[in-house]
Amino acid sequence: MRDVAMGQYYPANSIIHRADPRFKLVILILYLVTVFFCESFFSFGLMTFFVVVTILLSRVPILKVLKSLKVIIVILIITTLLMMIFYTDTGSKPLAEWGIFHIYLNGIYAALKLGWRLILLILMPTILTLTSTPTELCDGLESLMSPLKLIKFPVHELALIMSIALRLIPTLIEETDKIINAQKARGAAFESKNPFKKIKAMIPVLIPLFVSSFRRADDLADAMDSRCYRGAKGRTRMKKLHFRVGDVLGLLFWCAVTVAILFLKYNWFGWAFIQVLGV
Amino acid sequence: MPFIEFKNVDYSYPSGDDEYIQALKNVSFSVERGQFVALVGCNGSGKSTLARLCNGLILPDNGSVTVDGLDTEKKSDLIEIRKKIGVVFQNPDNQMVTTIVEDDVAFGPENLGLPPDEIRARVDFALKSVGMLDYAKSGPTRLSGGQKQRVAIAGVLALKPELMILDEATGMLDPAGRREVMSVVKKLNREENMAVVMITHFMEEAVEADRIIILDRGEIAADGGKELFSDGELFSRVGLELPVYVRVARELNSRGMNVGVPLSTEALVAAVAKRIGGAA
Amino acid sequence: MIRVDKLSYVYSPKTPFSAQALFDIELDIETGDFFGIIGNTGAGKSTLVSHFNALTRVQKNSGTVLVDDIDLSAKKIDLKKLRAKVGMVFQYPEHQLFDDTVVKDVMFGPKNLGLSVDEQKARAKQAIELVGLDYDEIAERSPFELSGGQKRRVALAGVLAMRPEILVLDEPTAGLDPLGKRDIMKLVLNAKEFCPTIVMISHNMDEIAEYCNKIAVLHKGRVKGVFSPRELFGSEELLAECNVELPLVTEIASELARAGVAIDRGIITESELVDAILKAGEHA
Repeated sequence: MRDVAMGQYYPANSIIHRADPRFKLVILILYLVTVFFCESFFSFGLMTFFVVVTILLSRVPILKVLKSLKVIIVILIITTLLMMIFYTDTGSKPLAEWGIFHIYLNGIYAALKLGWRLILLILMPTILTLTSTPTELCDGLESLMSPLKLIKFPVHELALIMSIALRLIPTLIEETDKIINAQKARGAAFESKNPFKKIKAMIPVLIPLFVSSFRRADDLADAMDSRCYRGAKGRTRMKKLHFRVGDVLGLLFWCAVTVAILFLKYNWFGWAFIQVLGV
Repeated sequence: MPFIEFKNVDYSYPSGDDEYIQALKNVSFSVERGQFVALVGCNGSGKSTLARLCNGLILPDNGSVTVDGLDTEKKSDLIEIRKKIGVVFQNPDNQMVTTIVEDDVAFGPENLGLPPDEIRARVDFALKSVGMLDYAKSGPTRLSGGQKQRVAIAGVLALKPELMILDEATGMLDPAGRREVMSVVKKLNREENMAVVMITHFMEEAVEADRIIILDRGEIAADGGKELFSDGELFSRVGLELPVYVRVARELNSRGMNVGVPLSTEALVAAVAKRIGGAA
Repeated sequence: MIRVDKLSYVYSPKTPFSAQALFDIELDIETGDFFGIIGNTGAGKSTLVSHFNALTRVQKNSGTVLVDDIDLSAKKIDLKKLRAKVGMVFQYPEHQLFDDTVVKDVMFGPKNLGLSVDEQKARAKQAIELVGLDYDEIAERSPFELSGGQKRRVALAGVLAMRPEILVLDEPTAGLDPLGKRDIMKLVLNAKEFCPTIVMISHNMDEIAEYCNKIAVLHKGRVKGVFSPRELFGSEELLAECNVELPLVTEIASELARAGVAIDRGIITESELVDAILKAGEHA
């Protein structure tokens, strides 16, 4: 719990770890878009292949990545089941039926694709958080959003808030732990089943937590002021994010994959083929 | 020109309904470059208020505070003042802004808008000065209290100040952590000629300073060199304890064994051994 | 009475982060003891004492803890009874204050014990007076507007109002100035008249030497032994092995002995030290 600040970062020295966080974020977005456009089993297979390659390149144990699926397993099963039993296909005969439920072959395909899509959607963000520290991600986001400064969007402040939150979350968790223990030692019971009683029982924890958060915020503000903080104005960064050739190649590669998937989806290959032949 | 100068400073803060607590009353003093000053007094004597007045976190009600000739009232000079005076605060957990040690130390120089190479050089220098270079990539959760305070000192050093204020910076540490911080501070004063204002209620730490200022209920009760430690009456009047070696020596003196006023365990031992002719 | 038998404790067992905090701890704390527990940060002191009122449960097959007749390794524990018996004051206890008046905050413990409102009030009043505060002056004030020292006293009263028989204190004087430290320790001694057994964790060896009759030294999760102050601070090898600081007085005595002055190393009070030096002077 206390290492929330490090997220689920898995330290290792791999190309994926070393890659510029901005590129990782952009590629992630591209990837997510691509997954939404996946239609055929071939394109799903292609994406899965790329995901597996990425996991292998990242040197994160594959089980660690798969563990992220644990949280969604229930949703996964329920949605695929629902998809299967409520899918209606007027063009073919159902394989089986019970009352209002019909199961069609295409229904099974659709359910499989839905489940598969969900898994693909979870895996890649997991790899991102396993291979980048929260600070890297914050910096990456700040840099990517910097054009928004033109419309006076407080990009720097937002990034600083995220960074401070990450810094303080473990401290506050520890603090909450301590306060709960102190109140338990004074006989407080937090195990009540009645939700109103439960909320009431939390007051002796929440108030000291608020008080201490305000105190910490004051202290932190003093410490920041004392170290010459004056907002984003004139501020520089020690760590510059650098593009590397590998990052650019990675991005180009993913652009190619996206285009390929789009081709598959809209059958642009066939269209292009006809065009070429027709000439 | 004195480096920090307080002239007739009053400061009070509100407490509840229309009541004010006068934290400082007509305080005047100055600190020179390179000095090592201990500012002592019991809880509520106004020590921390004084620290926050030094770099313009708060402003005096009456009187003035100047740093190297710059008045803290003038907003445009505040950054310049804060570059000259670094402050390390009491709670080791409430001073770090980021999740990684070196990024935190970089926070100050980044605010000054220095080029990245210069920031990197200052961060490495600062972490080396406090002996925390090996922890540059660590997160704060893995550090002890003493180590966190050393990081906080490094964060201040990276701004290359001329004077460092430690506002009860050892107050929440265990004895080992206190020693770590003290030895770093002493080194900075002796080797880098950094002026230090050490706010503390540990007299064993105050003894290390060249000059002791005693605050009592918002007023300066005494300001002098180590000779203050022979004034037992003064210490009991302001609610402070003399260091144990001084207490023992005073008792010995009063009972006929004259050992003077030793300002360390070693000095007391040497004086006693000389008196009764130990083997040493 | 607290009896700890072969107690072990593992953090996050069966995960890659598992770490053993306690190894086969054996301790006997008798009624009437002022029992000190010392050791470096990370020696396991807090983990050990948090077992005493079941904030940390005894793990399976990891020994037993007995508080009077309550077996804490049992599956079901009467927590109400246990927490009425063992009061726990954590580091910086003022951080747990929450209610809008001092008296209500102090009544929180007695209320949780299921006592009548009159009884809660009576206990709160007694506890507030026991920690040296003026009940009429302070009872209706907000605990958040008190001074640091007062807040800590109120927090201490909040635990004492439960009338524990065993009081466990974790660094009760941390962060206070010398007078504040002395005041709090005086209160603890006052409380001892009603609450006969006191267990105190501290890094302050002067306090440990001055107040405790028995001291357990914890080192890397193991008990290195239980000693009287004189035994402990007189044995330099043990202290060096466990990185224990000397009380300042003992340090002076020990340095004097090293310099050839005929003096006992186990001296722990100032007046003893002065007497011993003067005596050594007469003989010389």
